[in-house]
Amino acid sequence: MIDLKNLTIEKAHESLKRGEYTVTDLVNEYLKVINEKNGEINAFLEIYDDVLLQAKKAEEMFKNGTATLMTGIPMALKDNILFDGHIASASSKILENYKATYDSFVVKKLKDQGAVFLGRTNMDEFAMGSSTETSAYGVTRNPIDPTRVPGGSSGGSAAAMAANMSLVALGTETCGSVRQPASFCGLVGLKPTYGVLSRSGIIAMGSSLDQVGPLGKNIEDVEILFNAINGYDPKDSTSIPDDMRVNKIKPIKKRIGVPREFLKGEGIDSEVLKNFEESCEKLKNAGYEIVDVSLPSIKYSLAVYYIIMPAEVSSNLARFDGIRYGLSEEGNNLLDVYKKSRGNGFGKEARRRILLGTYILSHGYYDAYYNTAVKVREMIKRELLNMYLDVDAFITPTVPFLPFKLGEKLNDPISMYLCDIFSAPANLADLCSISIPSGKTKEGLPFGLQITAPFLREDILFTIGKDFEKLV
Amino acid sequence: MKLEDIKKLADLARIDISENEMEGLAKDFDPILAYVGQVQEALKISSMNDSSDKKPEDYFLHNVMREDEVTNNRGEYTDKILADAPDIQDGFLKVKQIL
Repeated sequence: MIDLKNLTIEKAHESLKRGEYTVTDLVNEYLKVINEKNGEINAFLEIYDDVLLQAKKAEEMFKNGTATLMTGIPMALKDNILFDGHIASASSKILENYKATYDSFVVKKLKDQGAVFLGRTNMDEFAMGSSTETSAYGVTRNPIDPTRVPGGSSGGSAAAMAANMSLVALGTETCGSVRQPASFCGLVGLKPTYGVLSRSGIIAMGSSLDQVGPLGKNIEDVEILFNAINGYDPKDSTSIPDDMRVNKIKPIKKRIGVPREFLKGEGIDSEVLKNFEESCEKLKNAGYEIVDVSLPSIKYSLAVYYIIMPAEVSSNLARFDGIRYGLSEEGNNLLDVYKKSRGNGFGKEARRRILLGTYILSHGYYDAYYNTAVKVREMIKRELLNMYLDVDAFITPTVPFLPFKLGEKLNDPISMYLCDIFSAPANLADLCSISIPSGKTKEGLPFGLQITAPFLREDILFTIGKDFEKLV
Repeated sequence: MKLEDIKKLADLARIDISENEMEGLAKDFDPILAYVGQVQEALKISSMNDSSDKKPEDYFLHNVMREDEVTNNRGEYTDKILADAPDIQDGFLKVKQIL
């Protein structure tokens, strides 16, 4: 028996190296848990049929001395990350049988290092949602309390982790989709700087916001996974070139900002705020100076996001036409084929967002919505850049409330959208941001602390995060 | 928002949507548009508002696209890609007559 609950990448690596168990043994332990728990939780949509073959390849690497930290590490992939020859459906009916024809950049990197992909995890359809309830393949339950949602859209990846069905996992973010489920499942989740991880081979939602993000039980695992997949990729036009990535670790000021007026918005749970104040105290005790910062524009972040994202969604999802791949319905003519395939293939939330984006980009409304949102996005970026002259990072709760019950917010889009209120600034301003567990309620529901640092300064997140981790 | 506006959007987006769902969407859209409409207010109040017309070079933008040249052998990926296609004939995608 391997103690999966307390297993970390480094511990697994040491054991594999010393031969205490083989990669196959480790993978089988996870498959056993998946067999027991996945029926109830529905975190995995599919266990890849070549898992044991992947494990054998990793074992070879240990034998011939080419093993690295990620070799033989069992992990989960969100269902919108392409893995050559395997289905990637974005949890949509329109891609139900779509087999990836190439590897995404991040999968290629991990494959080369011998990581073992256990399977693909459930998500909100096309990553549109905050609860993993919009999937075409059923809801995912939160392993901490199965009557509650695991968060979303990377809810399957987070639930797989929380139920010890995987050691680490990859999710993706457009606005909080890694950090929010990490918070709801008591995990660490990272949204890296825009352009650090390649988007090549990731099924697109909002291309100016999308980013792959690692999930782990602690900062160290997230940092190892992040380092294993980052690098310049010429196939992603927004990938940051190597010369800009040079290690520029500078001493940090140990000064953290709190945007007070942002925390006074409607709908923020008092328990969440109380936990946040406690986190501030812990950071003070760890030698950090906590100062108030004024960011008058960031309260508009979510409104800006809900203009830019649907606009990009309506463009990105135009490619699903029933002709080249994916679901195709019979029709009387070509137009009829498009309309029926898209009408039957997309779920309700995807249809809603495509229509919203179509409206926002239409003649007569473009200036009032899209153009204005682009301008306000620039304002938010400038305001944050200015703030970073004074502080290393700013902190907020990750989510304004605790994990909610299944179905509670599904029919109220605005209240569901508010999950993302604290996530939006990082995605809009290309910053890096992390969610770290910050304690639990009496009932055992997890709280999360969100730290957001400047462009390319993931090192700040890891430094503050490790200091904080020791105190929780 | 009126039902006929939603119908027009569904047509533009090439999506068949039931009358019933369109009625629901018409209701959902008003609060969503009211919420996102706040952005107009942001331009008025912020001291950070920069209304100058910036040109692309002010944002250090440059062309990142590679030259448009053939990088693979003819037919190298054809079978693999067509394996995902719903309807094919002689190595082509098959669609309904359009003329």
